[in-house]
Amino acid sequence: MPEIAETYSLGLPVEVSKIDQELKKLWQESQGTATRASLVNLAVYCEGPGSLSKNTQLMANITENHACRAIVIEADCNAKENRVEAWISAHCHVSSVGSKQVCSEQISFLLKGGCTTLLPSIVFSHLDSDLPFYLWWQEEFREPMDSQLWPWVDRVIYDSQGWEDFRAQMGLLESAEEEANQRIVFCDLNWTRLDSFRFALAQFFDHPASHHNLAKINRVRIDFAPGHRSTAVLFAGWLAAQLNWQNGKTHMPNELSFVSSSGSKIDIELRERPGEPISEVAVTTADVEFLVAHAKCGDLLEVSRGKPGENRMPQLMPAGKNDPVNLMSEELMRGGPHHVYLHAVNRVRDLL
Amino acid sequence: MNRAADQPEPNPLREGLSARAVPQPCAIVIFGATGDLTHRKLVPALYNLAADGDLPPAVTIVGFARRPKTDDEFRHDLEEAMRKFSRQPLRDEIWKNFAASIFYHQSEFEDEAGYKALAKRLDEIDKNHGTRGNRLFYFAASPDQFEPILKHLKAAGLNQTCEGSWARVIVEKPFGTDLASARELNRVIHNSFSEEQTYRIDHFLGKETAQNILVLRFANAIFAPLWNTHYVDQVQITAAETLGVENRAGYYEHAGALRDMVQNHLLQLLCLVAMEPPTDLSADSIRDEKVKVVRSLRHWSRDEIALNVVRAQYAKGAINGEPVVGYRQEKNVNPDSQTETFVALRLFIDNWRWADVPIYLRVGKRLPKSATEISIHFKKAPAVLFNKDLRALNVLVIRIQPDEGISLTIHAKVPGTSFRIEPVKMDFHYGTSFGKPSPEAYERLLLDAMSGDATLFARRDEVEQAWAFIDPIEEAWHAKKDVPELFFYPAGSWGPEAADDLLVRDGHAWRRL
Repeated sequence: MPEIAETYSLGLPVEVSKIDQELKKLWQESQGTATRASLVNLAVYCEGPGSLSKNTQLMANITENHACRAIVIEADCNAKENRVEAWISAHCHVSSVGSKQVCSEQISFLLKGGCTTLLPSIVFSHLDSDLPFYLWWQEEFREPMDSQLWPWVDRVIYDSQGWEDFRAQMGLLESAEEEANQRIVFCDLNWTRLDSFRFALAQFFDHPASHHNLAKINRVRIDFAPGHRSTAVLFAGWLAAQLNWQNGKTHMPNELSFVSSSGSKIDIELRERPGEPISEVAVTTADVEFLVAHAKCGDLLEVSRGKPGENRMPQLMPAGKNDPVNLMSEELMRGGPHHVYLHAVNRVRDLL
Repeated sequence: MNRAADQPEPNPLREGLSARAVPQPCAIVIFGATGDLTHRKLVPALYNLAADGDLPPAVTIVGFARRPKTDDEFRHDLEEAMRKFSRQPLRDEIWKNFAASIFYHQSEFEDEAGYKALAKRLDEIDKNHGTRGNRLFYFAASPDQFEPILKHLKAAGLNQTCEGSWARVIVEKPFGTDLASARELNRVIHNSFSEEQTYRIDHFLGKETAQNILVLRFANAIFAPLWNTHYVDQVQITAAETLGVENRAGYYEHAGALRDMVQNHLLQLLCLVAMEPPTDLSADSIRDEKVKVVRSLRHWSRDEIALNVVRAQYAKGAINGEPVVGYRQEKNVNPDSQTETFVALRLFIDNWRWADVPIYLRVGKRLPKSATEISIHFKKAPAVLFNKDLRALNVLVIRIQPDEGISLTIHAKVPGTSFRIEPVKMDFHYGTSFGKPSPEAYERLLLDAMSGDATLFARRDEVEQAWAFIDPIEEAWHAKKDVPELFFYPAGSWGPEAADDLLVRDGHAWRRL
């Protein structure tokens, strides 16, 4: 590849009207040494100053495992002048099957002023045809939600962890979906963060002999890091939705309760502890505790079950990583709708 | 793919998670635990499953073999092998945890007392490790040991289980050396285990691309109308390797390429390509359709075999510029060996879908490159307009290994003022499109066996029907008179000219790989 293929760089500045021509030239200059690959259009939108370079770096890492047409947008909505600057670049990696370079192309935009009017036209004109469109929205949603943009989105990716008003944000997303009259898949990275813990807990109950324990759960403890209360509440929502617990209530900010279908009460304690977003989950029945905890070393979870005070045989499982590249990679690996997420949200919407 | 009836009810916490349900805890007993397969494939596969969190905590491995060895020595040997052969680098903390569930049981295969001691040990493991009486017996020993192992397992009561638990047996190929021995082997197995408990492993079926054949055919509507005699001109399947016989001469001298590769791997691939859509994705629905393909293969008379099957043996030559010896000069090979290291077949499937479509199979050692590929060659468009002078066909290629993927050759106009048309290739590479590496075939297959899913394992009737097709060819080759010629080809070439001639008379040629 020519010099402009260097990762982490915004690449070659180009006129917006000549992006396609310049991209074509970029591939011609590679003289067949690189393969262009793309499975999705992945656009990332951010209003933070300097986000173009930060997101370019993320895209360089994400494209190692997920070939895509990356569209990176930084918007300065308060700028007085209306102006668009653009760059093109390619992220190239040696493929897993040999020495061939596999490249994803990136188009970067700096939008100044008039964000809402510029965004749809910028996105629409640069989508790779026939591929799904994933929009990674790094800002809070705000009104008005662009009615032109949303009907084009197949998956909207966001992180509810930093939301100040969960209900309002979800409300905006749901109305955008309704207005767009199509099924946009909501992908919350705050939910993706829970994958390894959900998986580790679920495997306790794969065996039919363990199923009866699900109906006997009376207490749950979730340890979360400062700033991650919403992550812990989503976990509680997942348990409630999947196990049909109703009537969620908050007694103290970090004490929740639900009522099972048989009428018994389930207490959920949320404990703030420094460390990983979720560092430990204990699910307890009258006589067994199912424990999932971050191992002391490495990115592993230690899972065990047993009676309190009993010697346990812990097993190690992958813990996943809580950085944007890994969370996005997890999200891009999965397909289909997120019914389970929406059920979980609905159980705890008022508790978040 | 579906699960067996003895599998768990859905776990509500599993809904929406991308990983499949963890199988039930079990003890995996490997017969032939000190052998290559255990070290290179089986234990690395189990470790990788554990590292990915796909195994339940209570899975234990018991290595059963003759050599005296302690648990710790066995673990140490495996650890060394793991460092060489594992797909994922060995992580000490995971290995330590995993190795604590590995045990070694020393016994002769014919020693009844060894099996009684094994039964006792498995009971203790159930008690201490929570394996719940579930047993998976893996036969990685040589086939002549299967009978005593099975007999003693039965005598020790290890083929039976308590209510709610299961016992399964995984059998490695070869599944016999002909129809009679395959039937005998099946009889011997079924004296101790039922067909539902028997998993005949063919690692080709565990490969991602082999499984993708079904997805390509039955999840893409564009191919369905074309997948028949009206539109398909020919089908080719090639399994080529650069390796010679290596250290397998003892086995290979008696097996040869036809038994070693065609009877199992190539016919299994052919079944996936040629089968009708199954009624559902259950193991038996898929296997019902596969066996119909083998049943429909045209059987040749002795004269026809000489015309439709070519066998050959590699002579000295060069691979990647390095000189290599001929097969007869290899260690432990008879200097007058008649064993084929290459075989090419011209087949027909006599059913409605495939009538008159020639199917060409070719497999060989010491060929110029290692590749397993299936190609579907579509018929020419009507010879009018652009097609008057076109020679190339549209070809759909399914690359099984390496560089797994799919490509389609179409015709395109060469830019310019004239109407020159050239074939161009649309190419899909797994490695390019999906960064995540595929699991090893043994990982998938072991997990399936633990989960009771037999879809990717060969059923008794598939194996026997395949031998019924192969046997007449072997008989012709080993007859006392009018024996078809054994050809020779230089190592590093694509086989003898006779293999090319098989296709030339149909107006075809082998695809260039």
